[in-house]
Parts: sequence; C-alpha cells; structure tokens
Amino acid sequence: MAGGGGGGEGEPEFQVAPMIDVLLVLLIFFMSITSAQVLKVDKNISLPVATNGIKRDDKAAAGLVNISWDKTTGQARYKLDDRELDANDKDGIAKELADRKGTNEKYRLLIRADRECHAKYISKALEWGAEAGIDNIAFSGLNKEE
Amino acid sequence: MKRIEQQADANPGFQIAPMIDVVFVIMLFFMVMAGAVKVEHELKTTLPGNAETAKETELPDEVTIGVSETGEITLNEDPVGAANDKLLENLYNQMKQMGQAAEQSKTKLLITVQAEETARYERVINVLDCLAKANITNVTFAVSDTE
Repeated sequence: MAGGGGGGEGEPEFQVAPMIDVLLVLLIFFMSITSAQVLKVDKNISLPVATNGIKRDDKAAAGLVNISWDKTTGQARYKLDDRELDANDKDGIAKELADRKGTNEKYRLLIRADRECHAKYISKALEWGAEAGIDNIAFSGLNKEE
Repeated sequence: MKRIEQQADANPGFQIAPMIDVVFVIMLFFMVMAGAVKVEHELKTTLPGNAETAKETELPDEVTIGVSETGEITLNEDPVGAANDKLLENLYNQMKQMGQAAEQSKTKLLITVQAEETARYERVINVLDCLAKANITNVTFAVSDTE
C-alpha cells in the first residue's frame, strides 16, 4: 500500500502512452475474433438456423458437401468443397470420398444444404457417404438468422 | 525536389490525437462486427444401420420422429409440432423426459429422424436442433421412400 497514491504531489497527469497500449490490445483482440469467425459459405446457399448445435471444428477432417437449391427448377446442385459434382456419378463421388477418408475413422461428411432443399437430395449425399464408408454425418446451420 | 524539401520542413511532427481518433473508429467497427458475425454450427448424426456385431448388443429404446412434406412433426406417429412451430417446445419436453428416463434406467435411447422425400431441410434442422437442445446425441437420419 505504500506505493498507492502516497506521493502527495498533486494528481498524476493523464498518460497517453499506456492508453494507446490498451487501445491497441483491444483493437487486436476484436480484429482477431471477427476475422477468425468469418463464415465461408457458398452465397447460393441460405443455411437454416441451428442455435443449439456445436461450433464447427475446422481442424477435424471433413468432406464438405454444399447443396444449393434452384427454386425455378426445383432441383439441387451439389458441390464437394468448391468443385461441382455430377449427382449421377455415384461411384466416382464415393471413390473420391473414400480416398479422402483413407484410414481416418473420424473423417466426417458435413452437409451444408439450402433451407429449401428437399430431404431426398440430402439422402443422396448420405448415400455417397455410406458408399465411401463414412457414417459420421454432420448437418450445418447458422448460429443466428440471416 | 525543392518543393518536397520545403513541404518536409513544414511537417508538424507525429500527431497523437488523430491517431487515437482513427484507432477508436476502427475498434468500434470491429466491436460491432464481433457481435453481428454469423458462425457455422453443426448437428451430428450417424447413418442408420451402423452396429458392431462382434459383441453382444442391447436393444435400445427406439423412437422415430417423422418430418412430413408440409412440415408437421410426429413422434412415433403422434403429432407433436405444427408446420409453423419452429421451436418445437412440445417435442423438446418429451425428448427431455425420455432422455432422463433412459438415463435412469441405464438404457440407450436411439432416435431416428425420418423425413419424407419432399420435406424441407430447414424442418429437419429444426428437429435436430431440438434434439441437441435436449442433449440427445444418439440420432440417425433417414429419408422414407414414398415411391
């Protein structure tokens, strides 16, 4: 307590340098949390809300199946990561997923579908996963409404 | 070159006040952005029919949740959620009770979410989200073949 305001030589002046230090630390903190959470989702896909889901683990290996929905034709379009898929080439897709999985038993299939997409198109992606021996499936949603 | 030298002489030195102004504005921007950022959440399921055959298996209590084309939710054929009911409180309460009962009796609760072919993905996610809220992890997803 001896050092706590015992000087008695008037009030200390406002110090700019420590304030800037604090400001910069806060700035870096907010910059890091916002940039780390930026969502990389196909703009054609409007994800539904899943507030009780767990936050996506980016480190865990996953095959990302994006399913967009064409309202005019009522058809779904598939992408594996950023590459467009031919939905009829079931064996080719399953082989690619099996190759990606390799011996990793924790490899999972992350389905990211448009909220309007019909369940039968989701089922198709699950079939590819089953064919590739992936039984660990995760469905994607957002933490809040768009 | 002469003009540049003249300008350099007129340099008033490093000004701290405008720098603080700018840093404040940038910080405010990032603070606001941090609250508005959307994060991707995931709901885990497994494919049906995945069982280890090497060891003896106990038959779990199986519950089927149906998702209809119109968005209505059924629990073992009984309606529990209307098409516009997004929170599915009724389903949540029943699932919570079932989960607690299964925990007490030390049995496994196996939930199968069975969606009709033309059921919307959003509705399936509503159900899976409700199950995640009720802490039910043993969930499989299947699509009923209506053809």
